[in-house]
Amino acid sequence: MCVTQHFWDFFVSGLANGFVYALIALGYTLVYGVLQLINFAHSEVFMSGGFGGLFVINFAIGSRHPHGLSSVWFVLVGLAAGAVTGGIVAYILERVAYRPLRRRNAPKLAFLISAIGMSYFLYNLAGKEFGRDARTMKPPFTVSPNKPLFTVFGAPVNLYDAVIAVSAIAMLILLDRVVQRTRLGQGIRAVAQDADTAALMGVNIDRVIAQTFILGGLLGGAAGFLFGLGTAGVSYTMGFTPGIKAFTAAVLGGIGNIRGAMLGGLLLGVVENLSSACFGASWVDVVAFYILVLVLLVRPMGLLGERLGRSA
Amino acid sequence: MKRRFAAAVIPLTVAGLVVSACSSGKSSGGSGGKPVFKIGYEGPLSGGNAQLGLNMKYAVQLAINEANAKGDLPFVLQYTEADDQGSGDKSPAAAQQLIDDKQVMAVVGPAFSGATKAAEPKFADADLATVSPSATSPALATFGWKTFFRIVADDNAQGPADADYAVNKLGVKNIFAIDDASAYGQPLEQAFENQAKKDGAQVTHQSVPGTTQCQAGSGNTQQYPAVATTIKNSGAELVFYAGYYCDFALLAKALRQAGYTGKLFSDDGSLDPKYIEQAGASVAEGTYISCACADITTNPKAQSFVTNFKKLAGFDVSVYSAEAYDATNVIISVLKELGPKATRAQVVDKLRTVDYQGITKEVKFQSNGNIAGSAVYIYQVQNGKIVSLGLSS
Repeated sequence: MCVTQHFWDFFVSGLANGFVYALIALGYTLVYGVLQLINFAHSEVFMSGGFGGLFVINFAIGSRHPHGLSSVWFVLVGLAAGAVTGGIVAYILERVAYRPLRRRNAPKLAFLISAIGMSYFLYNLAGKEFGRDARTMKPPFTVSPNKPLFTVFGAPVNLYDAVIAVSAIAMLILLDRVVQRTRLGQGIRAVAQDADTAALMGVNIDRVIAQTFILGGLLGGAAGFLFGLGTAGVSYTMGFTPGIKAFTAAVLGGIGNIRGAMLGGLLLGVVENLSSACFGASWVDVVAFYILVLVLLVRPMGLLGERLGRSA
Repeated sequence: MKRRFAAAVIPLTVAGLVVSACSSGKSSGGSGGKPVFKIGYEGPLSGGNAQLGLNMKYAVQLAINEANAKGDLPFVLQYTEADDQGSGDKSPAAAQQLIDDKQVMAVVGPAFSGATKAAEPKFADADLATVSPSATSPALATFGWKTFFRIVADDNAQGPADADYAVNKLGVKNIFAIDDASAYGQPLEQAFENQAKKDGAQVTHQSVPGTTQCQAGSGNTQQYPAVATTIKNSGAELVFYAGYYCDFALLAKALRQAGYTGKLFSDDGSLDPKYIEQAGASVAEGTYISCACADITTNPKAQSFVTNFKKLAGFDVSVYSAEAYDATNVIISVLKELGPKATRAQVVDKLRTVDYQGITKEVKFQSNGNIAGSAVYIYQVQNGKIVSLGLSS
């Protein structure tokens, strides 16, 4: 059967894709939790993180060929650059596209249209400013092809996958701690559970919402850098498909549920890879969305349920 | 007060409109009474494939400038263009733009097969001749469009020539063939696969949709690692990719990362230095690329074209520049023969019987628009540069 042979090969590379999806999905889920809004421009936050990471890393590396400890430093620089760019773009989005609508008590549809409009604007702006061709990222570490780092159950894990996995896991754990242990996290959970009561309790709604966007933007931007690292290329259209896939993953795991977004992302990455192995690359989307539909038929609130307010 | 204002504005507006209509009428007459004939270029001028489009655009402009400079034409030649981003979605609108401009006498393009397929019915209805320098899908010659012509040999020549080269010259028996699910890649891969099987090789086929990196494709940029793993596990000695350079670069990188050590082979959609840039020199080293286009820089008769192109465009000639140059010059030679009273329908009829010596080849068309005669060239990436290995057989 197609899944028994080389199962772990596909599983491992699927996890690498899945981590990127998970990081982007968190942006969607966080914003939905506090605003009940799907931030369709989040794919452009991801894309801008990719460009931010690309420019900083290309500038920092110059003509060097980093290896060893300096590689770690460059990866951290890239992650930070991507994250900061993503955070800034997300904050701008909130102030420009959503807050004015909130002030006016606009209907939900207006938010949706604003989101889609910002998405078009941002990616066309990037295409105009940065050119239509994909930009290559200078590798922060030298990788010898054909030699994996180590094997897991016979599946080769190369350095790119390892870096993506480690960075993503670190950020996911960090996010979990922020949401569970800090005041900001408390504020996010409070607003997600009941915005009016939270306001009565003294939570500054506007600040919490802005900080939620920034948080999602940091993760999405870092994911953009990791994505550029894995494919060694960043282009103005790179946000579109991963954005849709990550949104699907967030819904799969339970929209508004942080652990659900993480689970959904990883699951989607693995399922996509396995369906590529079994049915061929052109069937991947069919299988992935078919599984989403099946899950939602049986469990409409997603795998882990919808509530962000509860500590799950 | 309001009524007096309106009474002043309306006649002023009408006068303004009349003046502008008169002056635009004058300019369309051309300088000194000579009619203006425009040659349109339709191709990708933006989007991931823009480089291929620009290679051709400057060649068309160069041919027009040179013809005007000679000073012996009974008409003024002008250049115009329409951007279809290489896509069948955008090309009908781009075609309509050229058709609506009544001064356009013929079109060089559309550059891509998918775009040609979508737009040619419009051109045929409008009796506007199109001479494509690069659309290689064999099906295009089967629809009976009397306005369709192409300078380049179709994939029915490229696919089998590639297969013969891979099996007979390179000696591989186990091939993995991939198409990018486009109107260009699919028939090319089919032709390749059929010939390779006839030559005795084992061919596994998968369709991997192109991504938005290169064209408006539906594929996912992250899909290549899984495909690379599948290919590596199949034990293939050679991977043949029918598609464009951006996606081929992604595939090649994924293959090398997955530990694939066999050969890489692609078609004229990948014949671009950007492939080496995007895949990385070490990944791209040794890749074979085929093309029905000749390497014009090694042709001594074309040296002035190469130099003048660089002066105009700012970059070196690249794939299909010379074919676009020939396509434009064929059209100009037909217009010269027909004179200042030429009509679009006359251009179509004249092209049918033309016999023009271009810098790439002798240009004569078959009754279905295909070029008469064909040849396929093989190139290889060596030390970061694309080098011509000569004809495929």
